[in-house]
Amino acid sequence: MSKNYNYAFLDEGSKREIRRATLKAVAIPGYQVPFGSRELPIGRGWGTGGIQLTLSLIGPGDVLKVIDQGSDESVNAVNIKKFVGLCTDIETTTETPEATLIQSRHRIPEIPLKNGQILIFQVPLPEPLRIVEAREEVTKKMHAEKDYAPLWLQLYESLIRYKKVTLASEYPCLVEGRYMMNPSPIPRFDNPKLHKAECLYLFGAGREKKIYAVPPYTDVVSLAFDDVPFEIESFGGKHCRLCGSTDTYLDEVFDQQSGKRFHQCSDTSYCRKLSSQKAQNRE
Amino acid sequence: MKTSLSKKHDFDAVFDSQKVYRLVLEALSHPTKVVSIQEHANKLQGSNPAYLALAMTLLDNEVSFNTCENRQLSDEISSLTHATRTVVEEADFIFVSEAGDWVAVIEHAQCGSLANPHSSATVIVQNKQNSGAPLNQLTFRGPGIDARATVLVTQTVKEILELRDAQCYEYPQGIDLIFVSDEGALFAIPRLVSFDGASQADDSFSFPPFLQALRSLFEEPSKLKEVE
Ligand SMILES: [Zn+2]
Repeated sequence: MSKNYNYAFLDEGSKREIRRATLKAVAIPGYQVPFGSRELPIGRGWGTGGIQLTLSLIGPGDVLKVIDQGSDESVNAVNIKKFVGLCTDIETTTETPEATLIQSRHRIPEIPLKNGQILIFQVPLPEPLRIVEAREEVTKKMHAEKDYAPLWLQLYESLIRYKKVTLASEYPCLVEGRYMMNPSPIPRFDNPKLHKAECLYLFGAGREKKIYAVPPYTDVVSLAFDDVPFEIESFGGKHCRLCGSTDTYLDEVFDQQSGKRFHQCSDTSYCRKLSSQKAQNRE
Repeated sequence: MKTSLSKKHDFDAVFDSQKVYRLVLEALSHPTKVVSIQEHANKLQGSNPAYLALAMTLLDNEVSFNTCENRQLSDEISSLTHATRTVVEEADFIFVSEAGDWVAVIEHAQCGSLANPHSSATVIVQNKQNSGAPLNQLTFRGPGIDARATVLVTQTVKEILELRDAQCYEYPQGIDLIFVSDEGALFAIPRLVSFDGASQADDSFSFPPFLQALRSLFEEPSKLKEVE
């Protein structure tokens, strides 16, 4: 551990503020608690909100996993792990079940998270009502009054026009029947994993200085109409070219040499594990 | 922190705070679950080490607190954390001690607004570990609880929760309650968690309502334990 840093980089005052905001967020599921975001020595777009949450949580005994779009090996994920490792000396892992803290951008791992695990999302735009209202003071009032009609109308209009809801990610959900929440840019495929989960989900938005949470066993319902139910992405019988999975979230990969399109699991750790299990079974 | 008080203790402002925070986070995300902060509280000296461990973890000069009439505790928290002392109505954190008036605290603690529900009090109550006194079996529901949790609580805990409900807060307004024993056993009941089935585990004799508050002063230590 570098002696030039505070433990977990942040000063204790910053940690305390984030911790207090996080406790409020857990007490009021889906509500965006404001906090004083700190400047971190990392570039924009890295998800400073998520990193600040991780730094406020982490301590000796924790095992950290970082994924970016499902991958443990992406440059972002590796750099975040290096950064946190440099200022904490904690263990890191790529194995979902081994992690106590998982920091993620854009995915929830395929292996269901267990009680005691915490998934920390990096959130670029926390406000689910931003697509219908640009002004923060107005969206804040809408949340206060539980006035979500404009969002429902937007969804309904897209249904009329396109015969389906056109939101690919950041698909809004209602938490505990009260707060409309942006689940961060996870695919719709992952939305159901938020509902009555065993783990704690924390969301950090650094630029907009907001923290929100979904505690375990909390109702998280993706918006839908009686006659048009919520649907996750369908991969229409496609399978992962590496492990053969048909029930995971698949990324489309374009092979420039062959000019062919492939599909493979976005959760690289899960895919690798399944592939090696299959290889073992063949031996 | 350069006070004489802070020099006497071994509570690590970085590592003990981190552990206590995670335990409180676990308690708040699993209402009724009992966690222990004893190991960390033991590193502090003072009238109530468990309270001081929570104060060291959560309070600083950015927030305010109230200890009812417990002057010694107030001085200790102030010197350890530099948090601002204030009246119950404006306090971010309220520490209710044995003799503290929890009725006034629950009735006057700030509950936030519909727009800013986070501007509300966290009320920390000393949970006396009694033996002999009748316990109440309550069933809790809400976020963080898998379907329902039935636990035994002391009469004081039950009465505090009833008084909380009597405030008729319009959610998301409300107060978040943390109960902690002298031994550092801690559980939380955040605002959205509801309870019912309030029946005395031993109802051989029941006090008339006007005596309930008085009775709580004479309660013997009883232990909160999970029955399911
Ligand atoms: Zn695969």
